[in-house]
Amino acid sequence: MSELTWQRTPLITIAFFLFKQLKQLVTNISNLIPAFAAIFVIGKDSVWVLFGLAGAYLLYVIISAVLTQRFFLYAIADDAVHLRTGIFNRKHLTLNYERIQQAEIHQVWYFRPFKLTVLSVDSAGSAGKEVQIPGLKMELAQDLRQRMLAESVSPSGQRQESAAADTKEDAARITKHFPVAEIIRAGIIDNKLFVLLAVLIYPISQLDLLEDYVVPWVQQHLAWFNSESAWIIGAGIAVGSLAVLFLAAIAVSLLTYHDLTLTIEGERFQAKSGALSIRTLSFRYPKLQAVYVRRNLRARLLQRSVVTVSQLQPRAAQGGNPAAQQFTLPVVDAAFFAEFREQLRLPPAAEVNWQRLSPLALLGSSLWLALLAPVIATLLFFAAESGWPGIAATLAGWILMQTMVVLSWRNYGYSFVSRTTTPAEQWFVVRRGIFSRNENWYPRRKVQQIDVQQGPWLRLLGFSHLILHTAAGSETLRYLPSENAQSLQQQWVDEIAKNSHRWM
Amino acid sequence: MSIAWLAPEPSYRSYLQVRSLISMLIIAAILITSYFTGVYPKNVVPLWIAGLAWTLLTLFFSLFFASRRFLFTAYARTNEGVHLKQGALFRRIRAVPLNRIQHVEYKQSFLERLFGIARLAMYTAGSGGADLTIPGLLPDTAMQLKTELLTTIANEPDEGESNHE
Repeated sequence: MSELTWQRTPLITIAFFLFKQLKQLVTNISNLIPAFAAIFVIGKDSVWVLFGLAGAYLLYVIISAVLTQRFFLYAIADDAVHLRTGIFNRKHLTLNYERIQQAEIHQVWYFRPFKLTVLSVDSAGSAGKEVQIPGLKMELAQDLRQRMLAESVSPSGQRQESAAADTKEDAARITKHFPVAEIIRAGIIDNKLFVLLAVLIYPISQLDLLEDYVVPWVQQHLAWFNSESAWIIGAGIAVGSLAVLFLAAIAVSLLTYHDLTLTIEGERFQAKSGALSIRTLSFRYPKLQAVYVRRNLRARLLQRSVVTVSQLQPRAAQGGNPAAQQFTLPVVDAAFFAEFREQLRLPPAAEVNWQRLSPLALLGSSLWLALLAPVIATLLFFAAESGWPGIAATLAGWILMQTMVVLSWRNYGYSFVSRTTTPAEQWFVVRRGIFSRNENWYPRRKVQQIDVQQGPWLRLLGFSHLILHTAAGSETLRYLPSENAQSLQQQWVDEIAKNSHRWM
Repeated sequence: MSIAWLAPEPSYRSYLQVRSLISMLIIAAILITSYFTGVYPKNVVPLWIAGLAWTLLTLFFSLFFASRRFLFTAYARTNEGVHLKQGALFRRIRAVPLNRIQHVEYKQSFLERLFGIARLAMYTAGSGGADLTIPGLLPDTAMQLKTELLTTIANEPDEGESNHE
């Protein structure tokens, strides 16, 4: 190996390490609640303990940020990035370009005046390391990313062939810019307000906030106010604050997805967006492990979809939490989706032959509901003495749940489709949703392992679940006839074993 | 095309029985301790009922369930992949294509050492922890299978062969 030239990041990156520490505090704050409780109990009499602790923490964060910057060294070689970090525990990390799943250039707002960026790369491997190099010059970061995502150094002929393919496809370069109107739609589709509402409604209803605090305060300050119109005003305030939250959510997506531009160049996909901090995410097609198409109720009304492309994510797959950055197009209209599908090598929507579930699949959950509903009704009627309204409510709940079960059964579908035009790609796709329509697409040859599962109930009905584990998560094809599931399993194992294309 | 399934070693059945017996003994120990410390609700559930239930459960798990589980355990190694059947009540057939195996691990616990058997675990990049573990193998067979799998994986005619370590 040639000599490595170790470099230190610029001083401004201290700010980056500082923010990283603070971010860690915020994400871990729920774990620290017991500690906070203890501190508050102790600090009840002496406020200085609180200030002392806060001050000590602040000092610690600053000192550790400065030291981290001092001890952060990186070196760039032809085939790998080397990092040497750690104040007490020194760590030397070598990351081969070939293992990189996706690269992200993040022009953080406080780096922008200095024309500096943060380069983050996700690598494969069981630890699923994400490596961040802060304070790189824009040109260097771009050059580095180019090198990382370039055709990997594979043995002999292969390289030339793909290089030729690259130049050929350079002509077919696609650039798509998303206008502001579309981004506003994205804000409406991806509105966290609805999630927030569902979470908040219960505690709010328990608090009696309005009656205990708001109404007395209003009455005190506005003499002309009577309690009857207080309700109207209260409702007005509630609706108003919800509207503000709704608009705030749209504003957030306007900031994060400002000026969203998608560039497809050969096998390279790149999305750039952001008003304050500019993010550029890129990956190469061979690293693709799954494509998710999300259409919730709002998206369906707006006739848009959310498309996410996932790479190998061992960490996400194990922890169940989505990775920090995913390649997402938050709002895709039908016309562009058809084109984007083509680029992702997905077959056209009309070619997908959706397989429905057997009606017997409804039996299990329907039986449970039918058993549970009379039990609840009896309990309500006799134990809680709710009378007929209780029974009516149970009946309504039962009908609602049963409708949901039927809807989710009706909307569930799976299919094994292949794109026939070159470059061909075989997929399996699962569609589900009650009010939403979500499709998960996986390249068939990238499946890692296949399970056939059968519990006592399924055995009785002669069905099995087929579970496909991919590098981007697992997918279950439910209620397949048992023989069918087993022959599919064997057939796919053979197919995958004979496929010698690289899968990551 | 049918798969040639192989059964695990007969001592795997005894191993399963002893293992379930040990878990039942632990439960018995907890019951006895709670009885003597007075935590046990004597008035609600008389001791003989608990004892009877324990005996029945022990007989069921150690005699019936463990051997049933043994009967349904089988593995197969084909040219394309490794297959494993498991589960007495919830049946599962797992298949891993050979060229998706990332690494292979030989495992043997203390109890397994007493019965002279070992496990062989295979890992893929798919979700979930140990991906395919063949239980109840003779240590020699397990080692042999491991070496054989590793040579097959290393000699794959794979253009992306450097990606499989």
